[in-house]
Amino acid sequence: MRIEGEYTFSGTREDVWEIVRDPEILSTALPGTQKFEQVGENEYEGRMNVRIGPVSGTFGGKLTVSNEIPPESYTLTVEGTGKVGFLKGTGDVELLDQGDGTTLMKYDGEVQIGGRVASVGQRLFDTVSKSMIKQGLEKLDEALQARSSDAD
Amino acid sequence: MTKEFIGKRIKRNEDPRLLTGQALFVDDVDIPGMLHAAFVRSDYAHAKIVSIDTSTARQMPGVVAVYTAEDMGDEWQPGPPLVSPPPTVEDVVFHSRRQAPLVKDKVRHAGETVAVVVAESRYLAEDAAEEIWVEYDPLPAVVDIEKGLEPNSPLVHDDLESNLAAHLSQEKGDYEAAKAQADVVISKKIHIDRGAAAAMENRGIVAHWDEKGQLLTIWDTTQAPIPIRNGTAARLGLSENQVRVIAPFVGGGFGPKIMMFYPEEMLIPWISMKLCRPIKWIEDRRENFYATTQERGQVHEVEMALTKDGKILGLKDDFLHDTGAFDPYGLTIPLNTQSHVMGPYEIANFSSEFKVVFTNKTIVTPVRGAGRPQGVYIIERLMDAAARELDIDPIEIRKKNLIAPDAFPYSHSIIDQAFAELILDSGDYLPTFEKAIEMIGYRQFIEQEQPRLRAEGKYVGIGITPFIETTGVGPYEGARVQIEPSGKVNLATGIGTQGQGHFTSFAQIVAEQLGVDVTDVRIITGDTAEFHWGTGTFASRGAVVAGNAVYAAASGVRKKVLKMASKVLDAPEEELEIQDGMVRVADIPRMSISLGELAAQANPLRGAVEPGTEPGLEATDYFGPQYGATAFGTHAMIIEVDPETMLVEIKRYVTAEDCGRMLNPLIVEGQVHGGVSMGIGNAYYEQLHFDENGQLLNASLADYLIPSSMEMPPRIEVGHAETKSPLSELGTKGVGEAGTIPVPACFAQALENALQDFDLEIAETPLSPNRLYELLYKKEQ
Repeated sequence: MRIEGEYTFSGTREDVWEIVRDPEILSTALPGTQKFEQVGENEYEGRMNVRIGPVSGTFGGKLTVSNEIPPESYTLTVEGTGKVGFLKGTGDVELLDQGDGTTLMKYDGEVQIGGRVASVGQRLFDTVSKSMIKQGLEKLDEALQARSSDAD
Repeated sequence: MTKEFIGKRIKRNEDPRLLTGQALFVDDVDIPGMLHAAFVRSDYAHAKIVSIDTSTARQMPGVVAVYTAEDMGDEWQPGPPLVSPPPTVEDVVFHSRRQAPLVKDKVRHAGETVAVVVAESRYLAEDAAEEIWVEYDPLPAVVDIEKGLEPNSPLVHDDLESNLAAHLSQEKGDYEAAKAQADVVISKKIHIDRGAAAAMENRGIVAHWDEKGQLLTIWDTTQAPIPIRNGTAARLGLSENQVRVIAPFVGGGFGPKIMMFYPEEMLIPWISMKLCRPIKWIEDRRENFYATTQERGQVHEVEMALTKDGKILGLKDDFLHDTGAFDPYGLTIPLNTQSHVMGPYEIANFSSEFKVVFTNKTIVTPVRGAGRPQGVYIIERLMDAAARELDIDPIEIRKKNLIAPDAFPYSHSIIDQAFAELILDSGDYLPTFEKAIEMIGYRQFIEQEQPRLRAEGKYVGIGITPFIETTGVGPYEGARVQIEPSGKVNLATGIGTQGQGHFTSFAQIVAEQLGVDVTDVRIITGDTAEFHWGTGTFASRGAVVAGNAVYAAASGVRKKVLKMASKVLDAPEEELEIQDGMVRVADIPRMSISLGELAAQANPLRGAVEPGTEPGLEATDYFGPQYGATAFGTHAMIIEVDPETMLVEIKRYVTAEDCGRMLNPLIVEGQVHGGVSMGIGNAYYEQLHFDENGQLLNASLADYLIPSSMEMPPRIEVGHAETKSPLSELGTKGVGEAGTIPVPACFAQALENALQDFDLEIAETPLSPNRLYELLYKKEQ
């Protein structure tokens, strides 16, 4: 399943980069996150509660960041499993300086899902994942603005 | 003369019990001390099992036992092969790979059983099953059958060189020579995808090992209790009479409940013996989508050679068949497809090669139609294409090629699923074909109604599809009929019942022979303690094979009745008649004796009987046909397509059926109605969507659409013809699958006819509103 989209942050590319690479901020941004901690240089582990239509459950998983070109782009690899199935995906994230103090994030990835999440939740997966990503990115944007107003 | 019951529209004996909730289904079985099982199933379609951690689950409250393949030790063994490949076809390749009770090394389809939990309740069992952690090493999945045969494809079974499960070719005449002489050659590539049988009742099994009685009783939603008994006894090292399998009322079989030896069927009885407790497992709907067998996936490359006036000279059909992760049911489905590609038509030259492909998907075994709908779809799509190419009326081109009535018995000169020569025993196809044409008012529709509605901007179309159905195959079935001192009659037969009306149609056969009322015949089907010889209910064979066994046994009892009454009444047998439960001398009604009294006298408590006398008024007999009886029919429908939403309304639905002699036209029509509903699902609603990783994406009845009353036509009109089969006393042919078989072909024909402005050519099934939109939209671009 393909997940792609874009989002405009009200901040510079360097500031956005700091935010999206900050585990503490990330842990507050993703809806349903119960735990999110750094376990290696570019490796994170966490637990997240997800509800997709009639299917809900906790996923435990690993997030790996690779191909980092600060502050331009990176690759995310996610692997999660839980009682309701599994999820596995890779996506490329690109940050584009818009020249007006804003930054455009473009993301494009492939996600595999299996188990109950796929067999019963598939129809809603696309909508739910889009809405979760949107919520997460909005949270990050809020954090970005809070940080810049602190700096002011 | 005895009152006639055969052929009468008699209401079903079993319906009051079924309709008031008094009939026993497997889930109604409740035994004190019974435990409940829940399964851990693979989330992956293809993955190595690295480890299974059952430690938490084993400690949970109410959990009695947890088993993995490892826990089964030496008792772990795959299911038995059920149907072998035809031994008489040359150069046949067949790799037998069977499902295991629990997966040992790697999972081969999503939903495969990895572990089982037994607990005090199903809730506790399910909770504990969720605490079993299985670590997998995922592998790329084989999903598409064409890609599955490419040299770089992942392998479903690592010990094989490729995913080829079987390969078989059959030839008749010389297709290439016929092609060389043809005026026109039509060729097409046709895709057919999978659907589910989606019976109302999911599978279920209760096993009860009685340690003191040394007896294993199994209630199973199976279509074939006797093979399950025999196979279970062999697996568990019991004698066959230590195992009693009861298939009570079953809420729809449709093929997947055949003698599969599903993992659950192998495990639940085994666990019951291990724990000396009764164990119940009832499948839930999601499990049914993953783990109950499915059918229909094939890709055909087909060519038809014709003269310019529409006579078929030859047909070549090469196809791939998706068997899923295993192939326990041999080659029944692709052989059936091959048998139905020539259908009701005279085709002198035929060449067909099929390859069966293993995939990382649920196992494929017959689903109502069992390869026949695919065969009919192929030939009928080509007939339509040829009619268009040659500018011949679609009715006329079919008439031109139908097998003539004097050609029967007609051999298609290939081997069928029973490994015998495919001989169509009898038939008179043209009148039945014309009956459907007349019932739907073809000419009037084409010449008047359609032009008028078209002018109003309505997209209306018509389809008319003839088809054959091979039915009533061997090997045999049996029955035992006994008159009780009460005058009531008992009948036991080995086949199971899943809604076919056996309690009525078989009662009619017995009642007519023994001069009792249909409601006085008490019937037991599917209980191996009552009758333990036979195979099962499948291949539209109940009314043919079991029906004729019932007839033979009832005739045997009739002979005994007449012989004994002749002595008692001191009158020659020829002068006796049996009616209303009495045997009497035809012209002296007061010289009579009741059947019950005769039965009592046939089982004396004192005195001596003549040597060689058998007690009671009872007879057991068997019937095995020389080969199958082949039915014929024609379906016709008028549809209207909404060009905006692509929703299709079936305005009229007509069928003309010739299933030989009918035992009960009401039951025949019920079978046809149910079959048509399933066929409409196959044509336009029901498709199982697997993603490229072998994940089933619509495993719920919210996403997998079964036709409801909204999608059904307002009425299904059924016309009848009766060309009796010469292969049996009753002359019956099967009709259980006939309703389903031609529907996708007829639907595609009607769609093309309705959308002729778009120049639409359909070469796939199932379709859906979405898919039809894509086809039209692509065309417009």
